[in-house]
Amino acid sequence: MNELIQQTLTWQNGLIFLGWAIVFLFIVLGFVTYAIYFERKVIGWMQFRHGPTRVGPLGLLQSVADVLKLLIKEDTIPQKADRTLFILAPIITFVPAFAVLAVIPYTPSLYFADLNVGLLYYAALSSLSTIGIILGGWASNNKYSLIGGMRSAAQMISYEIPLVISVVGVVMLSGGLSLRRIVEGQGSNFWEWNLLPQIIGFVVFMIAAVSELNRTPFDLPEAESELVAGYHVEYSGFRFAFFMLAEYVYVFAIASLTTVLFLGGWHPPLAILDFIPGLLWFMLKFVCVVFFLFWLRATMPRIRVDQLMSFGWKVLLPLALINIFVTAAYIELVVK
Amino acid sequence: MFELNFVWNGHSILFLILAVCIISGAVFMLHFSKIIHMVVSLAFTFIGLAGVYVLLEAEFVATVQILVYAGAISILMIFGIMMTKHDQLEESPRIQWKGILAGVGCLALFGAIFFAIRSTSFPSIPAVGPLAEDNTLELGKQIFTAHVIPFELLSVLLTVAFIGAIVVAKHDAEEKEVAGSATREEAE
Repeated sequence: MNELIQQTLTWQNGLIFLGWAIVFLFIVLGFVTYAIYFERKVIGWMQFRHGPTRVGPLGLLQSVADVLKLLIKEDTIPQKADRTLFILAPIITFVPAFAVLAVIPYTPSLYFADLNVGLLYYAALSSLSTIGIILGGWASNNKYSLIGGMRSAAQMISYEIPLVISVVGVVMLSGGLSLRRIVEGQGSNFWEWNLLPQIIGFVVFMIAAVSELNRTPFDLPEAESELVAGYHVEYSGFRFAFFMLAEYVYVFAIASLTTVLFLGGWHPPLAILDFIPGLLWFMLKFVCVVFFLFWLRATMPRIRVDQLMSFGWKVLLPLALINIFVTAAYIELVVK
Repeated sequence: MFELNFVWNGHSILFLILAVCIISGAVFMLHFSKIIHMVVSLAFTFIGLAGVYVLLEAEFVATVQILVYAGAISILMIFGIMMTKHDQLEESPRIQWKGILAGVGCLALFGAIFFAIRSTSFPSIPAVGPLAEDNTLELGKQIFTAHVIPFELLSVLLTVAFIGAIVVAKHDAEEKEVAGSATREEAE
C-alpha cells in the first residue's frame, strides 16, 4: 500500500485511491450494520431476551431494514432551527470519524497511511467531531438537544486529556507516534505487548475511550430518561443516521486503536501460533474489544454528571500522570 | 517582476484549493451576521491552514493546529457564545465611502505585499534532511535541549494564568454565596 501512495498523482492513481476509500467505506458500513445487530443480540442474551429475530434468518437483516427505514423516512427540519448549521452538523460529525481510520495499520502490509504523527492525528481529528455534536445541539433550537450538546462537549474535552496522556507511556516505550512503529515495537508473546507493562495506562485509556464514545456508563449526552435523546432529538431520517453512523465508526476506530496500542496489533498471543495470519489476530482482538464495550453497556448504570467530571479530573488524570512518571523511571533505570 | 512561471502539479492545485478555503473562511467570518456562523467559518480557516502545514511537510504543526485551534479554541468560542448574549445580530451602518476606502486600502496592501514578495530573491536553502524527514523528533530534541529554558518559563506562565483564572472564578462564586446567605438571613 505504501508504494502506491508514494507514486505521483495521476488520474489513474487518484481513481485507485478513491476506489480503495469506497471499498473501505463499505467495509465500515458493513461493520456498523452488524455491530448494531451484535449489540442488540448480546444485550438481549444478557437480559434473557432474544434480541431481533424476525427480519431474515436469526434476525440478521434487522439492521438493514432499520437503515432502509431511516433512509426513506421524511427529512424534517424544525421551523425555528438554524437551517444551514442543522444540515452541516451531521456531516462535520461524520467526516472526522471516517478520516481517523486512515492511520490504523491492520497487518504489516495492509494500512492506508503510515503517518509520522499517527496517534496525534487521531486525537486531533476526533476532537473535530465534538464541534459537529455541539453545533447539532445548538442548531436544533431545542433545550434538550442543547443540554445534550453541552454535556457532550464538556465530557469529550475533559476525557480527551486523560485519553491522550494515558498513551504517552506507550509512545515512550516505542519511541514514536507512528501507529505502525508502535505495533512493530511489541512482540509475538502476550507479555511482550504493551498491555501488561502499561496496565495503568490501559485501564485509564479504556475508561476514557468509553467516555469519548458517549457510551454507557458515560452516555449522559443522550440520557433517554433525562434528555429524551440528547443532541439529536430533532434529527430524523438520514441525518439522524449520520450521527449514529459516526458513533459506531468511532467504536470501530477505538477498538482498532486499543488493539494497535495495547493488544499487539497483528501479533499472535504466543509465538508458536505465528502460522495464523496477522489479520485474523487483529480481527479477533478487535472483536473482543467491541464485545467488551457492549458487555459494559449491558451491565453498568449511568453515572451522575458531577461524578463524571470529578472522576475524569481527580482520578483518571492523576493516574495517567503517575503512569508517565513510572514509565519514565522504568526506561531510565532498567532499559538504559 | 510580472512574469509568473506557474507549474501545474498536485502540489500547486492542492495549494490553490486550500488557499481558497482559507480566504473564503476568513471572508465569510467577516461577512456573516450570526456569531456562531462566524465561529464555524473560522474553524474552516484553521483546518485550511493545517492543510497548508501538511503541504509544507510540517505534520506535527498541522496536527497541533487542528487539535488546538480547530478543536479546542472553536469549542471554547462556541461555549463563550452560548453562555453570553448571543441573539443579537451584528448590524453595522453601511456607509458608501467606507467601502471605497476599504477597497483602496486592500489594493494598496496587495500591491505592497506583491512588490515585496516579487522583489525578494529567495536563496535556495541547503536541504536540512532530518528536520524534514522526522520533524516531530527533531522538534522535540530542539525544545528539550536548546530551548528548554524558554519552554519551562512558558509553562510556568501558563500555570500562573491557569491558577489566576481559578482564583478569579472562585472569588466571584464566594461573593455570590455571601450575598445569597445575607439575603437569606434578612428574610429570616
